Amino acid sequence: MLSVNANTSGKPEGRPPVSVKGVNDGLLFLLDEECEHEVLTAYLRELLFENPSQLLSGPDVKVSVDYGNRNLTAQENLELLQLFLQKDNFCMREWSSNTVARRALFANRNRPERQNIHKGTIRAGQQVYYDGDVVVIGDVNPGGEIIATGDIYVFGRLRGIAHAGARGDTSAIIAAAEFAPLQLRIAGTVTRVPKVDGRVMNTFMEFAYLRDDGMAVDKMHYLFAIRGEKKAKRKRG
Amino acid sequence: MGTAIVVTSGKGGVGKTTSTANVGTALALLGKSVCLIDADIGLRNLDVVMGLENRIIYDIVDVAMGECRLEQALIKDKRFESLSVLPASQTKDKTALQPDRVRQIVTELKQSFDYVIIDCPAGIEHGFRVAVAGADQAIVVTTPETASVRDADRVIGLLETENLRSPKLVINRIRSKMVKSGDMLDIDEIVQVLAIDLLGAVPDDETVIKQNIKGEPTVMRPDSKAAIAYRNIARRILGDSVPLMVLDEQPGLWARVKRLILGKA
Ligand SMILES: Nc1ncnc2c1ncn2[C@@H]1O[C@H](COP(=O)(O)OP(=O)(O)OP(=O)(O)O)[C@@H](O)[C@H]1O
Ligand SMILES: [Mg+2]
Repeated sequence: MLSVNANTSGKPEGRPPVSVKGVNDGLLFLLDEECEHEVLTAYLRELLFENPSQLLSGPDVKVSVDYGNRNLTAQENLELLQLFLQKDNFCMREWSSNTVARRALFANRNRPERQNIHKGTIRAGQQVYYDGDVVVIGDVNPGGEIIATGDIYVFGRLRGIAHAGARGDTSAIIAAAEFAPLQLRIAGTVTRVPKVDGRVMNTFMEFAYLRDDGMAVDKMHYLFAIRGEKKAKRKRG
Repeated sequence: MGTAIVVTSGKGGVGKTTSTANVGTALALLGKSVCLIDADIGLRNLDVVMGLENRIIYDIVDVAMGECRLEQALIKDKRFESLSVLPASQTKDKTALQPDRVRQIVTELKQSFDYVIIDCPAGIEHGFRVAVAGADQAIVVTTPETASVRDADRVIGLLETENLRSPKLVINRIRSKMVKSGDMLDIDEIVQVLAIDLLGAVPDDETVIKQNIKGEPTVMRPDSKAAIAYRNIARRILGDSVPLMVLDEQPGLWARVKRLILGKA
């Protein structure tokens, strides 16, 4: 998840009064609900007009601003809005206490993924899609494809194509009892598994996950260690 | 009421027609009444393999269009009273047959035959849907090659959507030398991927080619290995438990497969 740390001056202690999140196709500004109005405007001014980040002064970007439970007077409201309107690359989309963008962001993160069970083999030419995590009780054969927005666990042989985190969740993983996939995709990253003697390498109880430098495959017993790290990163991000 | 079995593969040239002719003839040899249907419209060759080419007057399209009665189009095999063939049309278009009409024809044939065996065209389009329309069971034929197994897998998935669950597998043209050297998939590997019951494994055998040209099914030459394999398949269709024959002089190679078959039986 993309985020900008605008806390350059180190003025306010702890949580910055504004956090910026990359959402689907734009930026979401979350305004602190408690800090002083002056602290907030000062911070915003610095963030918007003195930050060298490409994100805030690049090409046109769709912007949502969420002030949550902050009690704004009409005057404060206007002052804040004017700051945003001064940015000529900002295309204001939402200005509210409960933006769609924020709801979507939290829905993505905190809702436990829906758990699905797929019984049966996924054969050549078949493509199966699940919203959430999926456990496949059966094989995924060459030419077959399993897609999930969350994790994929195959209780059988994975020899076809698996695509986890299909809506962009880079913390998703792909695991299988027997691991010999033709192709793996997690979020937007694709890898092909190298062939040995014309056949896909076969290993047991492994899983694939994304690292900063690409996709990695590890033995299943590392799953929880690596998973914990990734989950923590996801919360921070 | 008889049973209708469609013989299908996805990939072309793997031995559907050969298997239809030989399994059908073997069932007739075992005393069953059998009707073979050539559903490969436009490319008919079941009649050639059966040596009945010069006796065709009407074909399945004529029956479907109501241009003749079903009995008029059936060709009785001179060698076996109980074996008949319903030939395909060579001239008419593939789209001349519709699934519903074929289902009616198959149902009608099941009244008077123990087994109706349908030779499916290659591919997974219209001709496939027509051929599987009236079937109660399916046999999937594959050779021990990756592309052929992949197509078989695809077809098994499609058969499920046509409500033909748990088809049976025939692996054709096995060359034990190539399997041993790793140049061909072995039976274990194929059965594992396709995850359906193995009905039989047929060796690659010159006799098959010679007999197909001669118009005499291979099972009539019981000295050949392919003939024994096809006869065994017929017996397994009738419910006998017949161990997989040893295609190779080294029994160790097949021991596991035998266990697989015997374990299931
Ligand atoms: N076990 C075998 N050993 C040797 N040759 C074989 C064997 N089985 C089939 N053949 C040969 O392979 C060729 C193709 O066989 P066949 O016509 O039965 O395949 P098919 O699946 O019906 O093909 P199509 O998809 O074109 O209908 C033929 O020349 C046949 O003689
Ligand atoms: Mg054929």
